[in-house]
Amino acid sequence: MPSSAPPHGRGLVLATAVLLATSACTVANSEAGDAGAGGDTLRIVLAQEPPTLEPCESSLTGTGMVVRSNITEPLIERDPTTGDLEPLLSTGWRQTSPTTWTFDIRSGVTFQDGQPFTAEDAAFTIDRAVNSDLMCNVDGYVFDDSPLGLHVDSPTKLTVTTEKPDPILPLRLSFVEMVPRTTDTEEKVREPVGTGPYAVADWQTGVSITLARNDTYWGDAPAYPRVRYVWRSESSVRAAMIAKGEADMSTGLDPEDATEENSIAYPNNETTALRLDGTQAPLDDIRVRKAIGLAIDRQAIVDVLFDGNAEPAAQLIPDGVVGYNDALKPEPADLDAARRLVQQAKDDGAPVDREITLVARNGQFPRVAETAEVLQYSLGQIGLNVKILMTDTAAHLVYQLRPFPKDVGPVALLIMHGNQAGDAAFTTSQYLRSDGPQSYFGTGALDEKISAADQLSGDARQQAFADIFAYQNDNVAQFAYLAHMQGLMGISPSVHYEPNPATGDELRLAEIRPADGDAR
Amino acid sequence: MITFLRRRIVSSAIPLVFVVLGVFVLARLTGDPVNLYLPLSATAEQRAEFAAAHGFDQSILAQLWDYLGQVVRLDFGESLRTGQPAGEMVLTAFPATLQLAAVTMLIAIVGAVLIGSLAAYRPNSLADRVASFLSMTAASIPDFWFAIMGVLVFGVSLDLLPTSGVDGGAEVWVLPIATLLIRPFGVLVQVVRGAMVSALSAPYVKVARSKGASEKRVVFGHALRNATMPALTVAGDLTIGLVNGAVVVETIFGWPGIGKLMIDSILQRDFAVLQAAVLLTAVTIFVLNIVIDICYALIDARVRQPVAA
Repeated sequence: MPSSAPPHGRGLVLATAVLLATSACTVANSEAGDAGAGGDTLRIVLAQEPPTLEPCESSLTGTGMVVRSNITEPLIERDPTTGDLEPLLSTGWRQTSPTTWTFDIRSGVTFQDGQPFTAEDAAFTIDRAVNSDLMCNVDGYVFDDSPLGLHVDSPTKLTVTTEKPDPILPLRLSFVEMVPRTTDTEEKVREPVGTGPYAVADWQTGVSITLARNDTYWGDAPAYPRVRYVWRSESSVRAAMIAKGEADMSTGLDPEDATEENSIAYPNNETTALRLDGTQAPLDDIRVRKAIGLAIDRQAIVDVLFDGNAEPAAQLIPDGVVGYNDALKPEPADLDAARRLVQQAKDDGAPVDREITLVARNGQFPRVAETAEVLQYSLGQIGLNVKILMTDTAAHLVYQLRPFPKDVGPVALLIMHGNQAGDAAFTTSQYLRSDGPQSYFGTGALDEKISAADQLSGDARQQAFADIFAYQNDNVAQFAYLAHMQGLMGISPSVHYEPNPATGDELRLAEIRPADGDAR
Repeated sequence: MITFLRRRIVSSAIPLVFVVLGVFVLARLTGDPVNLYLPLSATAEQRAEFAAAHGFDQSILAQLWDYLGQVVRLDFGESLRTGQPAGEMVLTAFPATLQLAAVTMLIAIVGAVLIGSLAAYRPNSLADRVASFLSMTAASIPDFWFAIMGVLVFGVSLDLLPTSGVDGGAEVWVLPIATLLIRPFGVLVQVVRGAMVSALSAPYVKVARSKGASEKRVVFGHALRNATMPALTVAGDLTIGLVNGAVVVETIFGWPGIGKLMIDSILQRDFAVLQAAVLLTAVTIFVLNIVIDICYALIDARVRQPVAA
């Protein structure tokens, strides 16, 4: 046995005290500095850190939320409420032939690094985003990887040509954020230079992003000199930050964290539905697919699970998107009719007791697991055999995108589709075409209708797509709809902001001002 | 001692190699990252091009060979998610986790030694029962619940502490450390108490008392030294758990550490960052194990004896 004892206690206490004293000042990987105590700094808490601020990735929610129309700007901006296209870095545009568009470029605009913005920068940006090998998200999302011809007529005039007539090219270009011609074309950039009202001042990885007002901005100066983004995964923590005054705004609150005082509900253009694999029995029988639509009590799901923050849906796009069919009304649940349809299919030899896998994604929307259970129960009520598979995002994508997994039997995939572009073409090309990247099947007639509608504009376009959604419901029935969803934005009483359907993807800082109306 | 250390280093290094290889292979079995990083409408050619650019089109063995070749050069690849060097991202995040783990474990050990010893000194006394009840409760509380309650009670209702984040002084540490502390503290109090109860009833304690040693010396000089071994073993395991990433705490409180980085990397199939993070934590755990073994050897001479002896 030892004859004397080392002073364990005192040593450890001393060490703890020293460690606490030294580490209390700063956390590693963070810098003391602009925590944004309110006032001059608008403090926004996001659900996740943007992976990058590369402008050609701004169709990604996490990136677009910070970048679009804040750091960089497009030629044309879409009004998320009216759907109208408005001039931004382009002051006017016109279609000079079916495949040619001309854009007038705004003069007197400079980038945040002092370079002037001209038609050459616009051409460079479009070429970099659409025609390059950078694999920009905006390329596939908005342009279907079709190359564009670009010609700079003068510093203030740009001509864009397309392979096929494209009546919505200006809308597509509203997703391309302008960058200077000196931007890297081999690699994506992490912190961009743009023409927007704010410039990146500081990015502490893992901690915060701070934007500073661009004093050389060509338009009206925004109200707040600085904006600081932080991120917290937990909705309850984001709500607590609003309640305590640590943040002025928060994205995506869960219903249980939202109150009238700390949040605003807004339609976010997202629609939830079951996508049914009509290539596999028993879902290859349209009566079974229609029965699933009849079995779902949408209103009950909206009232109970979504706390009323949604509207029952009858199509994949919400009101406000070109092509929305206001004659389509959500079917009320009718279990008897659904059972009859299933029975008819069974009598004709459909194996209705074959197990159907209902695939849903954790975190897809609030109470998604409960929604999946309600759907499983409802489908069981009409004689179908459903099991639930909850996945993460990556695994869900395996089921969502072509090529679809083999040997997994019939699948009912719970999807949430957001049409942020405001035109049904972005939905039909993905979800309704028989070879769409997110479509199990379709029909030749439906494909022809979609191709024809793509070439139209104006009222004819609206009517053609509206007819397509009605045709899909009557003759294809690939989808059993749930609801047009609403987002919940956390907002402090000290801030004035009216969310719009695009808020979840693009939070325009220039539209936010102090509630007392004074610029800072 | 050198022989002992050499033996321990070799036996600790073997699991390290298996962990690194296992993570490499298992990560690739969880799915293809291509879908996560390309537009939903990307063509088959674009997907193939992306896979080829990042080596995902090769066999796992070929990818492993390339990876090991890079690791030898301390090149951990590039994050698919952010485009930054994976090694740099991991090294940036790790100190924040280490700080949290070190402070938490120091407080847990000091507190557990004091309270565990006090409880063991008079078994079944009121102090013992209170300590046992509280430590059992602490060891059983789910940390995510405790964290959220801490935010709501101390952050919002009482307005005493910040809800989350790392902006500020000592106050930003309180809730994260309290959340991390409860379980190790509860477990360690139980372990110290149990070991001390045994030690205090051992014959050498009676001998020490009969020789007129003070109670303080009997408890902290004689009994505690012998009760240290089981406590050290458990404290080592708990520390390893914390170094591996305080995932819940880092996620809830927005702490920029390696646990959050690892979770995000898993969800986003960001293999390079995941592999670099696992390698770094595995090496840290390897070093911690060696340190713990050295502590054993310093405390107990029997441990450092060569096997032949």
